[in-house]
Amino acid sequence: MSTPASIWRQHKKLHIYLNKVGRLIVWTKIFVAPSGFEHQTPYLVGIVQFESERLPLQIVDCNEEELKVNMKVITVIRKIGKAKSEDVIEYGIKVKPRS
Amino acid sequence: MKIKIAGTGLTKFGELWNKDLLDLALEASSEAIHDSRLTINQIDAVFVANMIHGKLSGQDHLGALVASSLGIKGAAFRVEGACASGGLAIHLAIQSLLAGTYKNVLVVGTEKMTDATSSQITSALMGAGSEDERRAGFTFPALYALMAKAHMAKFGTTRNHLASVSVKNHFHASLNSLAQFPFEVSMEKVLESPVISSPFTLFDVSPITDGAGAVVLTSESMGAGVFISGSAVATDTVGLSQRESLLEIAASKDASQKALKQAGCEIKDIKLAEVHDCFTIAEILAMEDLGFCEKGEGGKFVEKGHTKLGGKIPVNTSGGLKACGHPVAATGVKQIIEVTHQLQQRAGKRQVNGADVGLTHNVGGSGATVVVHILQT
Repeated sequence: MSTPASIWRQHKKLHIYLNKVGRLIVWTKIFVAPSGFEHQTPYLVGIVQFESERLPLQIVDCNEEELKVNMKVITVIRKIGKAKSEDVIEYGIKVKPRS
Repeated sequence: MKIKIAGTGLTKFGELWNKDLLDLALEASSEAIHDSRLTINQIDAVFVANMIHGKLSGQDHLGALVASSLGIKGAAFRVEGACASGGLAIHLAIQSLLAGTYKNVLVVGTEKMTDATSSQITSALMGAGSEDERRAGFTFPALYALMAKAHMAKFGTTRNHLASVSVKNHFHASLNSLAQFPFEVSMEKVLESPVISSPFTLFDVSPITDGAGAVVLTSESMGAGVFISGSAVATDTVGLSQRESLLEIAASKDASQKALKQAGCEIKDIKLAEVHDCFTIAEILAMEDLGFCEKGEGGKFVEKGHTKLGGKIPVNTSGGLKACGHPVAATGVKQIIEVTHQLQQRAGKRQVNGADVGLTHNVGGSGATVVVHILQT
């Protein structure tokens, strides 16, 4: 569960992951989402290989047809899930195809 | 190791409107204790396996809750290890018997899932994943879908291979009156059902289920019966992306090799297995990782019918998680019960001829916890 304090801790780390280029290893399109993500369905998620680590990330700003194994993607900062009106809005890292 | 299975109890699996978590636990436990011919006073400890009830209902402290409701005043524990909670509870109970602390123990796996919505369950189950995965909106179907796509790309595993797991397990469930879905499905039905997370459709995915299973285990190993001769747990990273390979569940290999060694047998001695088919790819990976077939051959192995009743090695005669149902923490206990009934030659229409050694394989998360048991007569 995200709390204001846990979101604050997470936000402090975001800069480490910004503007990194990685390669898409594998992806899937989710049609049944967890709470807080229902409004985004269907959406794409995948595993991305960066220089020193592999991360599970959402893939945005593209259609599934554009995706290819090993294609270059770049990290972007985006809103995570759906915050209720009184909640802190959470941001995190996603990837989009590198143009 | 020789731990006797003295009694078993299993509820119907399904959407059980009129029963709550405790009703299910007590029903299975009472049946197991009655079957063991022990009295309540002879049960020294209770191990309750449960994963998500606290999150869904607010009720924790399940060890004392179940024990006291049964009239047992001895030690009581709640064990959690995601969808491997049931297998883990059995493993811990065995350790307590081997240590000599207790003589007779009750293990009950119980889960009440159908009161919640799909989204609530999907979120609650993601507690078994990593923080990164939750933040990216991953689901368990998505994590296993990634493993399926990697397997398809590397080994040429097909959509039909995946679907054949579901068709086979529904056939087995059609012979099991306690199964959630005791009916057959066609290949077309599996392929044409709605997509949950590509390439999985609804029929590749285990359902949301209520149910409980219980066993009484004893260190008194006199007489004939069914015994647990191997019990091992192995672990790996909680997050899928940190694993060395997406093409296997390494902890399945580790746990099964350890359990087989303890039991003094080899994989070729196994006559039947209950494996963790939370998704169709999971059963294919299990066939390979446990050593029933070569790596990459799992899809063809299932499609050829080798794992169907009457085949080389019948797998998931209960109907598996897919068709018998998957009340998450009850699953590991149900697997032990199915193999016990097979070894007791009391599995009815789904009896495996000559069953004398069986294996259970229970997985938590996307492969972070694996528990393997070997049962023998």
